Amino acid sequence: MAKDDNTPFAIRRYDAETLREALRKMYLIRFFEEGAEDSYTRGLIHGTMHLSIGQEASAVASCLPLTDDDKITSTHRGHGHCIGKGAEVGRMFAEFFGKEEGYCHGRGGSMHIADVTKGNLGANGIVGGGIPIAVGAALTAKQLGTGAVTICFFGDGANNEGAFHEALNIAAVWKLPVVFVCENNKYGMSTSTERSTAVKDIAQRAAAYSMPGVTVDGNDFSAVAEAVQEAVDRARRGEGPSLVENLTYRWRGHSKSDRNRYRTKDEIDSWIARDPILRFREELAAHGVLDASGADAIEAAARREVEDGIAFAKGGTDPTIADVTKYVYAEARS
Amino acid sequence: MNAPTRNPEIQTRELSYAEAIREAMGMALARDERVILMGEDIGVYGGAFQVTGDLVERFGPDRVRDTPISELGGAGVAVGAALTGLRPIFEFQFSDFATLAMEQIVNQAAKMRYMLGGEASVPLVFRMPAGSGTGAAAQHSQSFEAWFGHVPGLKVLQPSTPEDAKGLLLAALEDPDPVVVFEHKLLYKLKGHVPDGWYTTPIGKAAVRREGRDLTIVASAIMVHRALAAAEKLAEEGIDVEVIDLRSVRPIDHETIIASVRKTGRLICVYEGVRTLGIGAEISAMIAESEAFDYLDAPILRLGGVEAPIPYNPELEKAAVPQAPDIEAAARKLARKEV
Amino acid sequence: MATEVILPKVDMDMESGLVSAWHIAAGSPVSKGDALFDIETDKAAMEIEAPASGILAHIIAPEGTKVPVGNAVAWIYAEGEAIPEAAPGGGATEAPKAEPAPATAQAPGKCGTVASQPALTEAASRAEAPEALDEPRPRATPAARAAARQAGLDLARLVGSGPQGRIQSEDVAREIEARQRPAPAAPAAPEPAARRSDPEPLAAPAGWSERPGDLAVTRRKGQGSGTPIVLVHGFAADATGWAPLEKALGNAREIIRVDLACHGRSPLKKIENFAGLARLAVQAFDGLNLEAAHLVGHSLGGAIATTIADIRPRLIRSLGLIAPAGLGPEIDGDTLMGIARASRAESLAPWLKRLAADPDAISWDFAQAAMLSRMDEEMRAAQRDLAERLFPDGTQGFDLTGALGRVEAPLRVIWGRQDAILPWRHALRAPDHAGLHLLDKAGHIPHIERPEACAKVLRDLFGVAEAASRG
Repeated sequence: MAKDDNTPFAIRRYDAETLREALRKMYLIRFFEEGAEDSYTRGLIHGTMHLSIGQEASAVASCLPLTDDDKITSTHRGHGHCIGKGAEVGRMFAEFFGKEEGYCHGRGGSMHIADVTKGNLGANGIVGGGIPIAVGAALTAKQLGTGAVTICFFGDGANNEGAFHEALNIAAVWKLPVVFVCENNKYGMSTSTERSTAVKDIAQRAAAYSMPGVTVDGNDFSAVAEAVQEAVDRARRGEGPSLVENLTYRWRGHSKSDRNRYRTKDEIDSWIARDPILRFREELAAHGVLDASGADAIEAAARREVEDGIAFAKGGTDPTIADVTKYVYAEARS
Repeated sequence: MNAPTRNPEIQTRELSYAEAIREAMGMALARDERVILMGEDIGVYGGAFQVTGDLVERFGPDRVRDTPISELGGAGVAVGAALTGLRPIFEFQFSDFATLAMEQIVNQAAKMRYMLGGEASVPLVFRMPAGSGTGAAAQHSQSFEAWFGHVPGLKVLQPSTPEDAKGLLLAALEDPDPVVVFEHKLLYKLKGHVPDGWYTTPIGKAAVRREGRDLTIVASAIMVHRALAAAEKLAEEGIDVEVIDLRSVRPIDHETIIASVRKTGRLICVYEGVRTLGIGAEISAMIAESEAFDYLDAPILRLGGVEAPIPYNPELEKAAVPQAPDIEAAARKLARKEV
Repeated sequence: MATEVILPKVDMDMESGLVSAWHIAAGSPVSKGDALFDIETDKAAMEIEAPASGILAHIIAPEGTKVPVGNAVAWIYAEGEAIPEAAPGGGATEAPKAEPAPATAQAPGKCGTVASQPALTEAASRAEAPEALDEPRPRATPAARAAARQAGLDLARLVGSGPQGRIQSEDVAREIEARQRPAPAAPAAPEPAARRSDPEPLAAPAGWSERPGDLAVTRRKGQGSGTPIVLVHGFAADATGWAPLEKALGNAREIIRVDLACHGRSPLKKIENFAGLARLAVQAFDGLNLEAAHLVGHSLGGAIATTIADIRPRLIRSLGLIAPAGLGPEIDGDTLMGIARASRAESLAPWLKRLAADPDAISWDFAQAAMLSRMDEEMRAAQRDLAERLFPDGTQGFDLTGALGRVEAPLRVIWGRQDAILPWRHALRAPDHAGLHLLDKAGHIPHIERPEACAKVLRDLFGVAEAASRG
């Protein structure tokens, strides 16, 4: 099968196994979030959650260039990044259910899922909170010469936080190996980027910090992969940070309390019609990477994995009440 | 990083408080590649208070990093670096500027270990030049120990002597959790004996600086010295004051304070932060809840900063925080049972 | 849903409060934020606002009831809501019990010794009202409380040497030490703040023995409803000595007289020092259960009144002092002993004349009448012992300057310029906010020599004080 210049970047660059795994992760994200939503409705999960259904390509394609030594920082809408970076849905559900088996032993919940061993430094409840931290992780890599790259996920809302500007400036001044990936889903809660952000494209912000900035269709798996791969390669070469803006859309509301008063059904439907999973699946089929039955099998397996994950979480252990102050500080050294 | 136990026969020299801190940082930089210093103008400038001094010449600009004037970003970078394996010491030029970085200190550094269920560690030291008395007025003179002391996940220290300035900084550096060290600007030039070599002063342990029978003064930072001066004067009147140097605001050394109050039955808390909702409130409440309560023979007094920003005029500035004569007068009244 | 009205915690160490007045009657409408009822604690009196709007019902804590913090005192029902027969929150057995605090005893029509006579209130007959609590706890430090607890001492029996009469550990230690002395068995009271050398323990008193009972209190009801006046007489005097001043004051207010220990109709008590004498007077004052009082004392009684005002500041609307003791060392001890020794009018009269600016004002009849009330030799002996204790070597052995300085209530000091017993210059030790009235043609007993002038000052004082407390 020919891989000429018209072949999408992802198909040219990655082997079939990697691409099939990417599709699996996208389905996992979709079903994980649908499962989480269903569990919430059934009262199995308390608190709230921020769903990224519709944004799966951005999460998975951005993580594609990374190894377990590389780091990411994530956001409150972070389930996709987490799965993209290799987390197990069972332990994620366990965290959702507040169980000891969860990634944070039930202390963090949806907004703080992390897997430090896989380089996921954690979701963050503070808009823009993870951006300087990502830069710090990049500083470690540069200082210790580990060769690791950090991808810093953030939303369009964060681009107006002071932390964003301070961190991008520091990263540029110190030429740190970090890629800022903005998932622009058009709304910071209810406020559109048009109403909140002075520049048309958030990628334009990069110019102020003398780093490359590019805007891509965030629902196009290959487009995202291409932009991020290039930025990661640049970082690994020691040429400093880049900014990639993935234009995407969350199908669901901001959180479970959202009544969707700020956008129209037509707008939502038009984005649902651009489902990144279906697009990727069709692309794989078109280029002969995966036929329909193969894709169905991946989809079914992802569904089962999510069901198993929920069952695992339901059977988890509740934390001991006496341990409410455990993990505030390191255990005393003996 | 196990601390060698302190050898009493170890050599000491006279160093200033600032020199002792610099010595500690120099030893740490020399000992561990993971240690880096970050802060505004800490490189060739040597730090606003010349605490980092010549360290950049010895360790280079990558290890002694000047940051842009970006307290939030800089502090966040330090958090991320600590989270991923470095051991940063982050200097705020003035502790007042830490207000710009509260998000990273309070929401991120302090909570990371807990939010992640113990799966992460943020071994990070924030150094904070603090306190009034330099004529720098309201935005460069504050004492925020109690603010940070209110945050679980942080440890908060206030060394009062050159020896402790070094020992507590090294202890903070060895600690696996974020530690905020308040350095009183008026103490930077204070000279004192500082032991050679690497040693740590235990975090969470107060020091009895003067033993006494009649009443207990718990003080921190520069107030320790003012309390000792007051105690000397009162000794001439036959009033025997015990002075405790708090050293650690979080965790607080309950044991030492309770033992002292059990002995004297009278307590004054002296601190520079605003009096209300401050360290004194915490210590008073702690005593009221402790077995020392039954030994209290007078109300507990608090001497703290006035309920106002630090003013510029030198006389007003002095009046805004406890001075030795204020401590002396309060202690005298308490000892004479006039309170 | 009925809104429970509770007795709120308004003071840090408050455990209970006295419901002193209801501003809204049961069955009446009330709006949220209206003044609903008043409570009193050891430290404060406070108006409590209605927590909701509606109809007030089921007042289970009527006026005079002590209620633990957090317990219900009444309920407010929403407009139109059915009001049940019984108060919500359980039947008679579940709800806490209430008993009324001992109400202010009403004196019988004429002056007479008042027995404590708790008035029956509605609450007393109701099972569901809150539990009655003990009398206000004495002011004491935690260390003093712990020491007293360990020694099995009742703090209420001590008068503290600290500010506001706070009992400190050394007061308890002194009491314990005194109890351990072989003789006498009398409880030793602590000394006032100003230390003096410990007196010798009271030797078995010569010629008199203790008599049981509380201090005598006599009351004359007033026609008006103003705050009552409490009078405390001086050394070797008694309640009857107030007659001229009472006449001048008129009968608008209730007048209450306290006879000091070993004086008048009060029992003879072994008194070790000033604090011991004061302690009994404070107890007598507490026994009156007044909501407020104007306190007037003469000479030694002035010192006692000062102590009461210091210890019970909340209850004292004003303090009137007539030639008070305790403000300086000098005193004419010979005269005091002379009066205490005199067994007949002939020997009493010359000393009495020293009390007045004009010796001729002390008539033979006056001396004879005075002697009539001093015929009890045991009482005279007890007073001599007392004089030895209080005024050793002709010196005032106690100093109340500090206590007087702490009195915040409106304060007047009246002194005769010709006082030969206590020099009027002691009045200069009164605090800045005191009003000073130096009366000419008056000696040590201006309330007898110039009762109208004294009454004018005191009426002024009462008026100012009541205006201030209303304001």
